Amino acid sequence: MNYFPDEVIEHVFDFVVSHKDRNSISLVCKSWHKIERFSRKEVFIGNCYAINPERLIGRFPCLKSLTLKGKPHFADFNLVPHEWGGFVLPWIEALARSRVGLEELRLKRMVVTDESLELLSRSFANFKSLVLVSCEGFTTDGLASIATNCRHLRELDLQENEIDDHRGQWLNCFPDSCTTLISLNFACLKGETNVAALERLVARSPNLKSLKLNRAVPLDALARLMSCAPQLVDLGVGSYENEPDPESFAKLMTAIEKCISLRSLSGFLEVAPLCLPAFYPICQNLISLNLSYAAEIQGNHLIKLIQLCKRLQRLWILDSIGDKGLVVVADTCKELQELRVFPSDVHGEEDNIAAVTEVGLVAISAGCPKLHSILYFCKQMTNAALIAVAKNCPNFIRFRLCILEPHKPDHITSQSLDEGFGAIVQACKGLRRLSVSGLLTDQVFLYIGMYAEQLEMLSIAFAGDTDKGMLYVLNGCKKMRKLEIRDSPFGNAALLADVGRYETMRSLWMSSCEVTLGGCKRLAQNSPRLNVEIINENENNRMEQNEEDEGEKVDKLYLYRTVVGTRKDAPPYVRIL
Amino acid sequence: MEKEGLGLEITELRLGLPGRDVAEKMMKKRAFTEMNMTSSGSNSDQCESGVVSSGGDVEKVNDSPAAKSQVVGWPPVCSYRRKNSCKEASTTKVGLGYVKVSMDGVPYLRKMDLGSSQGYDDLAFALDKLFGIRGIGVALKDGDNCEYVTIYEDKDGDWMLAGDVPWGMFIESCKRLRIMKRSDASGFGLQPRGVDE
Repeated sequence: MNYFPDEVIEHVFDFVVSHKDRNSISLVCKSWHKIERFSRKEVFIGNCYAINPERLIGRFPCLKSLTLKGKPHFADFNLVPHEWGGFVLPWIEALARSRVGLEELRLKRMVVTDESLELLSRSFANFKSLVLVSCEGFTTDGLASIATNCRHLRELDLQENEIDDHRGQWLNCFPDSCTTLISLNFACLKGETNVAALERLVARSPNLKSLKLNRAVPLDALARLMSCAPQLVDLGVGSYENEPDPESFAKLMTAIEKCISLRSLSGFLEVAPLCLPAFYPICQNLISLNLSYAAEIQGNHLIKLIQLCKRLQRLWILDSIGDKGLVVVADTCKELQELRVFPSDVHGEEDNIAAVTEVGLVAISAGCPKLHSILYFCKQMTNAALIAVAKNCPNFIRFRLCILEPHKPDHITSQSLDEGFGAIVQACKGLRRLSVSGLLTDQVFLYIGMYAEQLEMLSIAFAGDTDKGMLYVLNGCKKMRKLEIRDSPFGNAALLADVGRYETMRSLWMSSCEVTLGGCKRLAQNSPRLNVEIINENENNRMEQNEEDEGEKVDKLYLYRTVVGTRKDAPPYVRIL
Repeated sequence: MEKEGLGLEITELRLGLPGRDVAEKMMKKRAFTEMNMTSSGSNSDQCESGVVSSGGDVEKVNDSPAAKSQVVGWPPVCSYRRKNSCKEASTTKVGLGYVKVSMDGVPYLRKMDLGSSQGYDDLAFALDKLFGIRGIGVALKDGDNCEYVTIYEDKDGDWMLAGDVPWGMFIESCKRLRIMKRSDASGFGLQPRGVDE
């Protein structure tokens, strides 16, 4: 390869797409490192504090697409206080200053402000794609800037963000000359939508493939929108509560029948189940169905719909489907690859009779041979069921089981679920992500350390007996990147056994465990390339006193590798050792 | 984190229904853990929870019943999903919760949470704020002297003048609200208020 001119090598590198592979080729030799640097278009940064924008731009000056993740995963469950960090503004400022030709920005769990969106919209003439997932801090005013200024916008995808809806006219801000939209998702906006502006926008966007509406878009508008966009591949339905009159229903049916390219359906945020039959004609084409926010679609209406979706590969559903419903899924959806079953009763106020159990899980594993990813919230489980699942589906890549009640044992034998999860890790040799729950001792971690060789992410809650549990995992799972633990009795001995290990991982989270301040200090002492953050919201005053109790248990510990040292934007209750 | 034995349980915030038998749940939980201790033959220190800790302090969650609603961030459902699948958000449910409010002359509807108002006065204030127009609320208090009239659709589908029935009865039956111009109201078919001509 060294005899080829750089342009040839670069051309070859164009075919190397995955981040892992590109990172590998850049390590081969200096000349490859240099060529790779200048030809790299897409960069993925899993932890925005592992590096800073200046160094990023220094290394990859020609980058066009940037993905950034901010807060740790457990922030999703309110375990990370607001103002912890993850601000995108410094990144946008740096990219703008250096005149990087940014075209695409994808953010997850970051704090985005209207100011950052405004700056983004004005700084990059070729900006094409903005994807925000689980972000917060901005309003529809920020969206208005994007709509107004990004002349070549192709994608605006807002997934599950907390957006302050000022009920302005952001949809009106797309100029008439904007005809390039391919994907528009504003399902998470809570306010009313200017439906007329939306219809005009859709009518002038012939390339629109993905459209996800919010609650405020009613039934008759949906029919008109679909008539304008029969080329849609991915649709998120807003709402239609009132039962439609026959005429509206007929119009909707006609519009839907024309959408022969439709492959993915979601939303149904507020729905009169009697409207569902309008969608029956296209069900046979669907590969993805997300009804996890459709609390009102239940029982027979739901079953009838699913029975028509024979090509489904991805299904997100509420546990109100019940074991019986999952049996129907198992019988119908033979192509199913990914299943997520969410709890419909999150606050535990009702005795949910319809919730799913191990019966549904076993049925799915038996009926769907291609299943490789599952997220399953259930009220009970047994070892026998898990062993059966492992036997039926050895191809799991992601296996996340959440038994709603912490510490709950096998409901038939009253034993711990160590053997069940042990069977899963032993059978599923390709397992990359695992979440465990129920009553678990150190034994399950022995199994995980022994068998889960490809495991990259592990979530532990209310499990284990002693430090040995955590040690089995750290010693065994060589590919571990993200380890998150809550309410489990792991302490300093486990934390400090192999400090160098943490530099091979992206991050470690431990909350309500047994680690102490003293232990964390010792950890931080010889680890310049680790940021050890202690989050003690209520302990603000304590830390200013001279006498620190090193035996004091740490409420939340978050540590991550970094090449840029301590961050400067942490709030007062976050202490970085 | 709570320390065992300070008897602070009684001051704990709970999300569960009132009147749950706390003691019963704690005993059930102990039964599990005791069984587990004997069957696994663990030789670590016995403690109330059955989860052994090297420090000696009991884990916070074991001080309280295993009721799942108690623990922060459990079950691990992301906060966006929690807020948006909360049943109170459904408008088909009558009574406390969000109802639609329409106002003549305004092209879009609003939604407001009746449960967050304490009475008609509060509602008046909230309606004024919602539409940014003063004087809506006056209709509720001083019926005849105002440009607007506030009506609501009740459980039976009838349109009623707001303000007649006690507040508690009102929020139980109100499905949606409408703010109408008084001039339009005369032909509307409202149930008569009283015989005061």
